[in-house]
Amino acid sequence: MTNEWKDISKDEFIFEFESLDTVYHTQISHQVRLLSNSAGAPRLFFSEIETPVCADGVCQLAHINVYWDLLGNYVGYGISPEFQLTKFEHEQFGKEDYIKLHQLLLDDNSILKRRKVSDLIDEAPVATSTIDSEVIDGISGATKTEIAESLVKGGLYSCYTIWHLVHGEAQEKMEKYLTSISSDTLMHYFLYAPYNDYQMFALRELPKEDFKEHATQILNIFRTADGVGKAYILKKIPSDILSEKEITSQFYNEFSLIDVNSRTLLINRLKSAHPDAIEILSNYLDRMTRNQLKLYLKCLNSDPNFISKNCLSNLKKASKNTGFTYHYLLREFLNKI
Amino acid sequence: MKTLKLILFICITSFYTNSVAQDVLIEAESFVDKGGWVVDPQFVEQMGSPYLMAHGMGVPVENAITNVNFKEKGKYHVWARTKNWAPGNWDAPGQFKISVNGKVLKNTLGLTSGWTWEYAGKVNIESNEVEIQLSDLTGFNGRCDAIYFSQSKKMPTEAETNLASWRKAKLGETTIPEQQKSYDLVIVGGGLAGCAAAISAAEQGLNVALIHDRPVLGGNASDEIRVHTLGIYGKFERILKMIDTEHYPNGSYKAKYDQERRDKNVKSYKNIDLFLDWRAYDAISENNAIKYVDARNTATGERIRFKAPRFVDSTGDGWIGFWAGAEFSYGRESSKTYGEAWDKWGELWSPEEGDDFVMGASVLWQNEKTNEVHDFPELPWAADVAKEHKAIAGEWQWEFSRNDLHQIDDAEEIRDHMLRAIYGSFANAKKLDENKNYKLEWVSYLVGKRESRRLIGDYIYTFNDVKNLTKFEDAVVEEKRAVDVHYQINLKDSEEPDFLSEALFYKGPKYYIPYRSLYSKNISNLFMAGRNFSCSHIGLGGPRVMLTTGQMGAAVGIAAAICEKYNVTPREVYTKHLQEYLEVIEKQQ
Ligand SMILES: Cc1cc2nc3c(=O)[nH]c(=O)nc-3n(C[C@H](O)[C@H](O)[C@H](O)COP(=O)(O)OP(=O)(O)OC[C@H]3O[C@@H](n4cnc5c(N)ncnc54)[C@H](O)[C@@H]3O)c2cc1C
Repeated sequence: MTNEWKDISKDEFIFEFESLDTVYHTQISHQVRLLSNSAGAPRLFFSEIETPVCADGVCQLAHINVYWDLLGNYVGYGISPEFQLTKFEHEQFGKEDYIKLHQLLLDDNSILKRRKVSDLIDEAPVATSTIDSEVIDGISGATKTEIAESLVKGGLYSCYTIWHLVHGEAQEKMEKYLTSISSDTLMHYFLYAPYNDYQMFALRELPKEDFKEHATQILNIFRTADGVGKAYILKKIPSDILSEKEITSQFYNEFSLIDVNSRTLLINRLKSAHPDAIEILSNYLDRMTRNQLKLYLKCLNSDPNFISKNCLSNLKKASKNTGFTYHYLLREFLNKI
Repeated sequence: MKTLKLILFICITSFYTNSVAQDVLIEAESFVDKGGWVVDPQFVEQMGSPYLMAHGMGVPVENAITNVNFKEKGKYHVWARTKNWAPGNWDAPGQFKISVNGKVLKNTLGLTSGWTWEYAGKVNIESNEVEIQLSDLTGFNGRCDAIYFSQSKKMPTEAETNLASWRKAKLGETTIPEQQKSYDLVIVGGGLAGCAAAISAAEQGLNVALIHDRPVLGGNASDEIRVHTLGIYGKFERILKMIDTEHYPNGSYKAKYDQERRDKNVKSYKNIDLFLDWRAYDAISENNAIKYVDARNTATGERIRFKAPRFVDSTGDGWIGFWAGAEFSYGRESSKTYGEAWDKWGELWSPEEGDDFVMGASVLWQNEKTNEVHDFPELPWAADVAKEHKAIAGEWQWEFSRNDLHQIDDAEEIRDHMLRAIYGSFANAKKLDENKNYKLEWVSYLVGKRESRRLIGDYIYTFNDVKNLTKFEDAVVEEKRAVDVHYQINLKDSEEPDFLSEALFYKGPKYYIPYRSLYSKNISNLFMAGRNFSCSHIGLGGPRVMLTTGQMGAAVGIAAAICEKYNVTPREVYTKHLQEYLEVIEKQQ
């Protein structure tokens, strides 16, 4: 999030959350503040955190300012120059260590979530089948390396403590808080903001009847979203909108540019698209997997009228393209029609 | 070398020419000496038969050899049913040749996309005893399903006839297997669930048949796939300790020690008849009850009809239920179907609209660091999948699923995709000087599956039962391991290879699985144990690990004994004999 930082002019306390100090096992309270821009629109959550971290037995205080977006996703942190983070034997974090910490915090599915800090310093191989193992599909050399690689060397406690602060109770409270301030304006901002998580959140909230009004933006989102986002849009977009000639053309012309799973979904939705879609896809036959091609041909089979002149010529061309692995399926198909 | 008995010599009369042509069909898997070729029975339902595969990890394997009795001497045209398993603008990876009585036939095979007959060449047969050899040329998974000798030049295209009935006719096979056997309980699938079911039923005094399509037991836990067992023992520690595995890394060669123990323990039961290398291919039901399960030896083609009052489906893929007409589900339900949404993970966890995405299948592999330099070739047919990815070993994250690929129907394509990922990533890693001493030590050719059909029982187990800690009155399985479901990481980041996955976890305290999820809702004498038990997609996330599935098996074995004692159905164990059933389970500890 690059621009949000620039225009913050309001800062209000909204709630507190607690974290467990890993050393003394006492609860520590932290304040979360909502940062809003000059127009009064909420933009970020923020917390100045102070917590003890134990660098291999020696306890230090860590000072760190954490920022979350409005969905409670961690977005960044700040450290003041006089309170550098430290690792083993009071050595200060270096530049690389700060970068690594940021990467670790970005990983909301980190293995740290499922491990007790004591598990991480255990040198002996862990887990027999009788232990309630939380490592999926096995504890192994690879997993151990996975943990080591995601941590700052010598900074196990800092990493562990800060990760759990950032991804713990605070996030749940932010989610709840967002519900309380949710509004049409905010959802509009989410839908048009350049952030995938915001866009997806807004799309989930968007009533189907409003898809039409935002069709252009939804197409923009489709183009830039990851595979999960694309799939979501292709499943959710109402048939009466997808079937509009222009919209069909825009979505189906993306075929060669998008991931393989979204392509399957485009083919799956041929029936609710404008008939032009059939012809558009005939330009991309050699991009289809075997099953996609079979699905497409099944659709052609269901109504011979679907096979326009152009479409037929594309089918013939692809059937002769020996560089296309599945050209033989097209040959079989053409022999039958 | 013994002459192959199964080969039949058949005269077919062509309507059109009225001429008589002689032909001989040889199933490759029935070669007497398989040399270095392996029998692959994993995709029988899709392509009609087990086949022979040259799984040499890049080193051509020893020839497979067999002798066949020809009644008629003369000139024959020879075809092999084969396929180019990685077609594209490069040399096919799995090439081989056929030789007949020492003469190498002209054409190289394994070059055409999709299973089909390829022409090998012409040969003059001058004696009745004919020796046939398959010579692998590449060591990269060439495959041969069948060889067909014909005096006619006509290609035996399956498009013209139905392949299955063509095959039956050529081999002179009757519809009903001639051999029949009766048991108190027939269990199909010897993964941990099937093994545990066999042991517990046998201990209760039942005569049991355990039919398993591999030479060794354990399914994913076996030395052939090498996944270690996770989960808790529940009430069945003694039984499960006979068949479980240690926690070496997935893929470790040490799996073989547990393999020996597992096989020995199951074999030690006198009332378990073990049918290793037998694959069930049908289940015949009448009035919603299974009467028979038919199975075939994966090498000889010999068949047996198994009769029993009750059956256990522990095939993982729910085959017995599927053939018998049991209700089943596949794919991800909509998050609303059972209320399984988890906002934090959204669509990755449970989609608003159901779909065919499931957790993927894996092929595990390992290397060996040696004292010498080992070369590994550049493989354009593998680079296409592996791209820039480098690796010298695989772990559970090597997993493949795609929404146009079905984990059963397209399992061969999935396995082959993984082979390309493995060979390609290893080839990339080998380009680095630091890896010059690495040698591929082991690549499984069996695809380890996590999820496919789930048979529907009286109760469908869901994520809510984990979250709500539902303590069922008929709880027979208990588990503490976190629930996890996987997604392909390229869904989040298209730069990532498509064969790696990531897990999402839910950690709670103990959860329980009810007996009602372990028998079919509509097939009155069918139990299921293992990953095909009655659950939702997310419901499978926790209990799919092998000690949990083993508990299911053990619980089902005991239920079968209660059925036998009172001559009742699996459902009636719940409605009429639950107390007694639970008491027997309690005594197991
Ligand atoms: C790579 C990988 C990693 C995993 N990690 C773990 C882990 O660390 N720990 C863990 O406990 N679980 C793990 N799992 C999950 C676990 O292995 C499976 O969920 C489990 O094996 C399911 O057990 P099952 O007995 O139902 O099926 P399977 O183990 O699949 O066994 C079924 C057997 O039936 C046989 N069969 C199928 N059809 C027929 C037929 N028609 N006739 C005869 N035989 C047939 C098959 O050959 C197979 O061996 C992993 C899975 C994979 C793939």
